[in-house]
Formats: sequence, structure tokens, C-alpha cells
Amino acid sequence: MMQATPENGGYMIAAYVIAAVVLVTYAVSLYWRTRKL
Amino acid sequence: MRMLRVGRWITAIGLLLLAGVYIRALVFTPVERLQGLAQKIFYVHVPAAIWAESAMIFVGLASVFYLFLKDPRLDRFAEASAEVGSVFAAIVLTTGPIWGKPIWGTWWTWDARLTLTLFLFLLYVGYQLLRGAIAEPGARARFAAVLGICGMVLVPFIHFSVYMFRTLHPMPIVLKPSTPSLPGSMLVTWLLSVGVFTLLYVGFVTQRYALSYLREQVEVIGDVGRGTGDR
Repeated sequence: MMQATPENGGYMIAAYVIAAVVLVTYAVSLYWRTRKL
Repeated sequence: MRMLRVGRWITAIGLLLLAGVYIRALVFTPVERLQGLAQKIFYVHVPAAIWAESAMIFVGLASVFYLFLKDPRLDRFAEASAEVGSVFAAIVLTTGPIWGKPIWGTWWTWDARLTLTLFLFLLYVGYQLLRGAIAEPGARARFAAVLGICGMVLVPFIHFSVYMFRTLHPMPIVLKPSTPSLPGSMLVTWLLSVGVFTLLYVGFVTQRYALSYLREQVEVIGDVGRGTGDR
């Protein structure tokens, strides 16, 4: 019997959002730290 | 400063392309039948892991050369690579458990690969704390270089931990001696993502290197202004 594909899209969205937020936040932090000099 | 502008442009392009990778992964890449959509976390998690580990290798290599050559550019690069590596390690340590919960049924397990990756992150944090704690630039660079070399030694253990220990973590399906066990469309998405993370690493390190350089220049100007500079 074929196993049904699990419904777990929420986890994927959470991971993608967190990765994007971390990367954008770091990019912004680099920008601000340089501007503050 | 030209280097700073170049770094910003590379980062901006990298972030735009990351959006493209997300769209490709979500819309144009098939869903894995047994794991469902959670499998697509792989397209972010693994490229971040590759650069979290590679960044530490670069820190270690720059540190080895620094100890021989005493070239401040090598120390600056190691500092930049360590900070960027810690950002990618943070992504690995958050996206991994988010994948683990639906697939393994638990957010975290103290298996070799996960624990060693946590060590890597803690080493990155320790490296930066060490740098912040030492005021004298020569001593700071020397001590940090030693820690950076220790971090580099850890990386092969992380990569081969799935072969050396019994572990829950999946075996490599792309970075292995035989051909990748991924269907073509998934492999293309993964390779694009690796390319984008490479671009982001280069953009971030370029900016962070420029930031260190500018800070040093500001300190020199401050010292001269206060009359404490070298005469």
C-alpha cells in the first residue's frame, strides 16, 4: 500500500522564513555598522 | 571604499537570487513523496551547512598563514570569515531541527553530526568573544589564529561523523564519492542554492573585511588625534 505524503508545509515555510530573516538581518547589520563609523 | 561597495552589490544580488531559489524550490521542484514539503528545507539547510563548515576551513587556513607571515590582511579575513560562518551555522542549527521535528519526531537529538555542528557554532561564538576580549592587536590575532586552527580540525569530523558513528542524520546524497542520488530537477535547485549561498558568503565576507579595515583606520586616526599614535 502506498504511504500518503505527509502534510508538513508549515515546517518548510518556517525554515525558509527564518533563513531569509537571518540573512537579511545580517546584511542590514553590516550596513549599519559601517555607517556608524 | 570600493571593496565595501562591491560587497554590498554582491550581497544584494545574492539576496535577490535567494528569492529566485525559493521560488524554484517551492514551485518548480517536485515534492518528495515520503517526506512531503519538509524535504525542501534541504535546499537551504545543506548549502548553509557547506558554508558554515567551509568558512571555518578558511578561518583555519588564514590563521595558519597568519602565524607564519604576520600579515594583518589574513587576520582580517579570518575574522570576517568567522563571523559570516557563525551566521550560516545559526541557519543550520535552526533549519535542521525544523526538518527533524516532522521527519524524526523530535527537534533535537544528541547524535554525532548535530552535536559536532553545535560545537562548531560554539567555537565561532568563542572565537568572536576571544577577539573582543583582547585589546592588543598582535596578541588578539595570535590567540584567535590558534582557536581558528582548532576549529578547522573539527570540520572533517563533522563531515565524516555520519560514517564514523551510528547517527540519525541522513548520509550525504550529493557530496559523496559516487554520483548524487537526487533526481535532476532537485539537483539543479540544490546546485543553484549552493551557488547563491556562495555569493552571499563572498558578499558578506567582503563587507565584513572592509568593516574591519575601516575600523582600524578610524582607530589610527583617533590615536593620531589624541597624540598617542606611533611617532
